[in-house]
Amino acid sequence: MSTQPLADFLAHSVELESEARERYLELAESMAAHHNDAVSEFFLRMAEESRLHLEEVGGIAKDHDLPELKAWEFQWPDEESPETTSYEAVHYRMSLREAMLLALDNERAAEKFYASFARSSSDENTRKLAAQFAAEEASHAAQLVKKLGALPADSGQHLEEDDDPHMPE
Amino acid sequence: MKQTELSIAITGAGGAGVISVGELLLQAWAREGGRGLLRKAFGPQIRGGESAALLKLTESERYTAASAYQVLLAFDWNNYTRFGDEIKLAPGVIVFCEDAGDVPESVLAAEPTLVRLPMKQLAEAAHDDGRVNMLALGLLGQLMGLGEGSLVELALQKLAHKPAAYQEAAEACIAAGCAQQLDCSVQVPAPGVPGGWYISGNQAAGLGALEAGIRFVAAYPITPASDVLEWMAGGLEQLGGNLVQAEDELAAINMTIGAAFGGVPSFTATSGPGLALMTESIGLAVASETPITVLNVMRGGPSTGIPTKSEQSDLNIALHGLHGDAPHLVLAPLDIADCVYTSAWAVQLAQHLQTAAIVLSDQFIGQSTAVITEPVRCAPLAPPVSCEGGDNDYLRYRLTDSGVSTMAVPGDPGLRFTADGLEHNEQGTPSARDDDHQQQLAKRARKLNAHDYGDDWARIDGEGSLGLVCFGSASAAVAEAAELLAEQGVACRTVSLRLLAPLQHGSLTAALADCERVLVVEQNHGGQLYRYLRGQMDFTQPLHSYARPGPVPLSGAAIVAALAEVSPA
Amino acid sequence: MNEPIKLKAKDYKSSVKPIWCPGCGHFSVLNALTKAFAGLGIDKDDTVLVSGIGCSSRLPAYVDSYGFHGVHGRGLAIAQGLKVARPDLTVIAMGGDGDGFSIGGNHFLHACRRNVNMTYIAMDNEVYGMTKGQASPTTPADWDHSKLTPHGPGVRPFKPAALALASGAPWIARGYSGNPNQMARLIAAAIEHPGFSFVHVLSQCITFCPEQTDWKAVVHEREEEALVDADEAAQLFLHEDGFQTGVLYNAQRATWPPSVPEPQSTDITRGFSV
Repeated sequence: MSTQPLADFLAHSVELESEARERYLELAESMAAHHNDAVSEFFLRMAEESRLHLEEVGGIAKDHDLPELKAWEFQWPDEESPETTSYEAVHYRMSLREAMLLALDNERAAEKFYASFARSSSDENTRKLAAQFAAEEASHAAQLVKKLGALPADSGQHLEEDDDPHMPE
Repeated sequence: MKQTELSIAITGAGGAGVISVGELLLQAWAREGGRGLLRKAFGPQIRGGESAALLKLTESERYTAASAYQVLLAFDWNNYTRFGDEIKLAPGVIVFCEDAGDVPESVLAAEPTLVRLPMKQLAEAAHDDGRVNMLALGLLGQLMGLGEGSLVELALQKLAHKPAAYQEAAEACIAAGCAQQLDCSVQVPAPGVPGGWYISGNQAAGLGALEAGIRFVAAYPITPASDVLEWMAGGLEQLGGNLVQAEDELAAINMTIGAAFGGVPSFTATSGPGLALMTESIGLAVASETPITVLNVMRGGPSTGIPTKSEQSDLNIALHGLHGDAPHLVLAPLDIADCVYTSAWAVQLAQHLQTAAIVLSDQFIGQSTAVITEPVRCAPLAPPVSCEGGDNDYLRYRLTDSGVSTMAVPGDPGLRFTADGLEHNEQGTPSARDDDHQQQLAKRARKLNAHDYGDDWARIDGEGSLGLVCFGSASAAVAEAAELLAEQGVACRTVSLRLLAPLQHGSLTAALADCERVLVVEQNHGGQLYRYLRGQMDFTQPLHSYARPGPVPLSGAAIVAALAEVSPA
Repeated sequence: MNEPIKLKAKDYKSSVKPIWCPGCGHFSVLNALTKAFAGLGIDKDDTVLVSGIGCSSRLPAYVDSYGFHGVHGRGLAIAQGLKVARPDLTVIAMGGDGDGFSIGGNHFLHACRRNVNMTYIAMDNEVYGMTKGQASPTTPADWDHSKLTPHGPGVRPFKPAALALASGAPWIARGYSGNPNQMARLIAAAIEHPGFSFVHVLSQCITFCPEQTDWKAVVHEREEEALVDADEAAQLFLHEDGFQTGVLYNAQRATWPPSVPEPQSTDITRGFSV
């Protein structure tokens, strides 16, 4: 990312936000298919927030000539982009609280990712923009923390099932 | 008027060349405009076991197996007797055999005219490397009135890849056989029009399929279907198609389906055990509406059964073997020449109706070679409904009046869909909904039932109060029975079914309208066709069954005898 | 002429929504596949996904390409027939461990041996998910979670990579559902490999094998270049832990069929004339 730090940073930001949105949408549909409506609606809202953020990043990015990177050419601190919910972290009976905690992890991971650019990028514009994005992620996280505080605690038994799984084929 | 027929059996050890003698005799006979059939019979050994070339020279092309032989040439008696009852001798049979050794009682019982010759010595005298089979070719050629030149020319063509000494020996032995003084004679059938074809039913079925556009074949070897596939391998190479030798029949049928999904007309051939393995996936072709043609060359069953002998006992599995409600096409060629026609028709119907066609040939017509007039070809059907470029809302399984929907193939722009063996909606998306299931079941049934199959569903001959109904290769024996019955003053209508599913109820009822009684003839033990017809239709007249399993071929005489028993006039 | 619009991964998804359990590894394979398509700029109309039966075999319907969802175990046979008949298409077969290594095992061996130019993605979750979690050919011998084998299957699991190598597969990779971007790279490389390319994917089953979420801790990427020597690869596949990912083996071998046969003559009846 040394040759054109800002363009590279923006390419990663666009990918991060669009992947976050895609995954939230996918999870929302999957939860809907499994009739977990509360979590599905929550993931849809998160997808919408990601879309708004993507729009913002995209607005800035359109004035720059972004590198065209394949999915495996992005440089992420972990296997996937930071705001993307891990597949193994969800369950069809998961509670809204658990879904929010996942989203909170995502926001914090994104904040951390942006913050590292804000600290260490060689390019001043990149540092400024990254700091702005990090602050936005932090504010999302704060909102989630607030909402989580208002939610009742889980019973701890909600993942338990009374029937065996089905045999669809 | 009764036709002249001449049946000749040549027996010996496998590898001794009896089959070659039969082939060369029939080829030379065909050059003279003669008509005839060559069956081959073998013991279970791959090499060296007993082997017989069973020739039947005729005036017409109605080929049944000979019920008794007027001429026998036995290289030795051990291999002859191993065939037991399979080779029956006519009274007064002319028997060529070595002059040493005792003639078996079973042969003497036929009061034969014995032509005892030192065949081995004569062959060796003709040439140091002389062999009995080429001497036999000369002897029998002489008996049939064939010219030495023609026999030598055909033999040298056949032996073109053998060493020169071998070829010289053959020529010398043929000459010796032709020159041998014989004190017997036979009446040979009158020759027909020169210039026919010399072809086996398996080759004919492969030819029909290729002519109808088959360009992909998946093959797993099985007796007696392997030679269809072997012939097609060469034909496809010539035409620019592909043949894959699969790892098993499960792969063969699914490769066929895969290629057909790609828009390439596709085919496989098998026999009973292979068909059983394929049935699950034939159901997939039905459900996914992928056009495929499966040639099943029937042999004695069940299980491994009698792989080298003919039987019509796969009708049940072909009709009813698929799980679920899976309407599909079942056809049966009526004789060797008709293998070209019916095979091509099956391919066209499968392509047009986007379904699976099972073609029931059998070992008798499949592995027999005959001289035939160049066969009639099946007129091409309108090509399958093709698609224009789409706008991404393509309905692969659209409900239409005809039941046939357009079939896009990969590469067609904007018509992407996923074919599915799961029940699906019009788009192809899996669905367990009642309305989708009802509609798609009805659609798949409708497209077969609504199609106009024209007059090809059966071959109908004669008028009379007795109806003889059969399918596939039983047709020739039934025609023979009708001729014998006519001599007895019983007029028959014969109906040989070429299309078994969907059964043409109305046409069959009409064809039998004047019949006061009907005999259903088939070569199996369970009366499979009889029961099928009973289950499908109401008959106003009594319906009787003559079901005789293999390995003995059906014959007109046996049918007439059975009729007297089950339905005395 | 206009530049063709560059498609994103999501543009390769169809409107059919997956029925997989939330948390299923197969979502990751779907994403990896569409990312690979986007990365390669694959033409949807010229691509066919073929599958058998099982959870993973539902995947073709979720991709906006041509597809064929066949019967249990036979996806590889359908795919090979299609590719041989239509060499112009990009053909990708896929399915699960039961579909590919048990009921379809023979087709797997022969597909490796035949080396038709196509890709096979086996999504291995060591269990039959569609029928309520029975042991599969890759299930550990002591896995006792199924009523069918209450004391565990008691037989040692297959090693799919070793099996593929022994059967002649020229190109073998392993991916993991927890790392869809790496998997996308592997799938893209598999598609580009001229020959039969086998991608073994560790794809967790959240419902019947929730313990597979622990895979994250043990999966590791193989740092070295892909092996080209079959002896070395045999050593690797027989003795490895089964959790290393990446392109593991990459040998060049002639594909089958050798070339598209050109028509020579349409007269195929000549041999029959007397």
